[in-house]
Amino acid sequence: MKILDKAKLSQFLEGLKPKYEVIAPLHEGKDILFGRLDSTKLAIDFVGKTRLSPKEYLFPQREVLFTFEENKKVEIKAYLDETKRVIWGIRPCDLHGIKILNMVYFSDYIDPYYQARSTNTLLLGLNCNEAEASCFCSSLGTGPFAREGFDLLFTDLGDTFLVEIGSKAGEMLIEEANLFIEAAEKDKEKAKMLESKSKQSFANQIDIKKVEGKLPDVLDNPLWAEEADKCFLCGACNFVCPACHCFNIEDIKVGQRTERVRYWDSCQLGGFTQMAAYNSRTAQVERLRQRIYHKFSYIPDRYNGQLGCTGCGRCIDVCLGEIDIAQILRKVANE
Amino acid sequence: MNKNIYAPNLAAVKKVRDEAEGIKTFTLEFEDREIKESFDYHSGQFVELSIFGVGEAPVSITSSPVNKGYLELSVAAVGKVTQALHLKKEGDVVGIRGPYGNGFPLAEVKGKNILFVGGGIGLAPLRSLINQMFAQRDDFAKISILYGARTLQLLCFVDDLEKWGGAKNSEVLLSVDVPDSKWKGNVGVVGTLLPKTDIDVKNTMAFVCGPPIMIHFIILDLLKMQFGGEQIITTMERRMECGLGKCGHCNIGGKYVCLDGPVFSYRQLRELGENI
Repeated sequence: MKILDKAKLSQFLEGLKPKYEVIAPLHEGKDILFGRLDSTKLAIDFVGKTRLSPKEYLFPQREVLFTFEENKKVEIKAYLDETKRVIWGIRPCDLHGIKILNMVYFSDYIDPYYQARSTNTLLLGLNCNEAEASCFCSSLGTGPFAREGFDLLFTDLGDTFLVEIGSKAGEMLIEEANLFIEAAEKDKEKAKMLESKSKQSFANQIDIKKVEGKLPDVLDNPLWAEEADKCFLCGACNFVCPACHCFNIEDIKVGQRTERVRYWDSCQLGGFTQMAAYNSRTAQVERLRQRIYHKFSYIPDRYNGQLGCTGCGRCIDVCLGEIDIAQILRKVANE
Repeated sequence: MNKNIYAPNLAAVKKVRDEAEGIKTFTLEFEDREIKESFDYHSGQFVELSIFGVGEAPVSITSSPVNKGYLELSVAAVGKVTQALHLKKEGDVVGIRGPYGNGFPLAEVKGKNILFVGGGIGLAPLRSLINQMFAQRDDFAKISILYGARTLQLLCFVDDLEKWGGAKNSEVLLSVDVPDSKWKGNVGVVGTLLPKTDIDVKNTMAFVCGPPIMIHFIILDLLKMQFGGEQIITTMERRMECGLGKCGHCNIGGKYVCLDGPVFSYRQLRELGENI
């Protein structure tokens, strides 16, 4: 464990710039959003989560997979983003989201586009000292303090950060910066105290074991229709989710060239399951239910019990119809 | 093979055959010699077909693994990609990646009577398996093929049907929903053929493929005949973008149709949870 003066954070991050593209939470108007480091905007003391997770740096909203030049012969050219990147300020919920992306994109077949970004990106986490109203990571075990999935993990101790090393690459950053000092026992104790205090700040509580036990029996429960009635079919819940990973692939003509593009898709939209002559999920109730089951039943089934939800609550914050995933889970638990 | 799992391999259209009304069969050959020789697959698997500039679509393979060096896809022109494929001529180039999915059980059903029930273009993946079974004919007992289409003009693989029907210890029964004056055979949905053949349920495996509504009713018929959930094998159609278990579109229950399917037994379908 190391200690970094809070006043030196910006110096540390700026120092990485020659080697890395440095991404950090920035004040943008009223929001805090990830962006390329601009130290005048750097958000250090913020409660809860950034408006969006840093997912787009590993799995962009839109990316060109190939271009096709169709002259005499089709020439296929692939684009891999191998930019060396450091992302600082990733909350534990968002680290869990990246864990889900890793499981999906590295299982069965390795996704070369995700792999290129993932292997060139260092993840610098930032524990949460206080929950927002919509947060429920403490009920899922995905936060408010991270246990894994980071290269470095920062805990805000007030004037300093306690820094935990999660990988050799993370350790190298510390060694090269020459700004960190050894942590004392009292620093670690303070972090532990902050963690338990943070856990007490969660108003949103869910008995997740109970939810997982009940899910197999509530597939035809009226609660899905009650919730689906509130849906405006915008897909925002998926688009702000750090763990949602579904995509479309489409060919787009740009002059003589064709770009094969992949972009985020939403299981809440009717077209998600549309085939040429048949749609396998035509009702919103089926689609809403799919979102919950995929996250809390199907992903855990497939990937060693890992939940497909991070507990960040962003989908609650953005929903026009006030669909609240935490409330849905409580309803399931109480069935 | 390409290391990039999304990269299609170039394949030339070698032959285009009008299969039925709105349905064509394309014979494709990989341009890369090594891929052409090494490309191997199981009956029931599918490929992602690229029409460059239009997009990709999953298509089941209708040729049989015993046919080496080429690939046949039978395709109805119903969507963006399939309509674009129908415009392709001999010598044109398309993209293929795969094969994907699990494929039909073959070794597991040796020694049994085999009942195929197909509807329309749904015979395409079954044809791959049927031809493979005929290539090792002695491994199976009686082979019954029940096949229906909406009209006479929509019946696919007429030559194959004739060949299969003429072979020993096998039968082909045909039906059309809407007959014309030329049609002398059975009229009605393909399920109406089930009572017209002798089926020793205990020793029979049923392979069913067709439009969802047909699969639904055939399964009900077979269950009534006392077929067990393990004895009914079907192949699912779902929207897919990747075929690799990543894009999420074909997820049902804990399964991805592209990885764990598209071939499922009825018992497995029941266990998926979601009402199918």
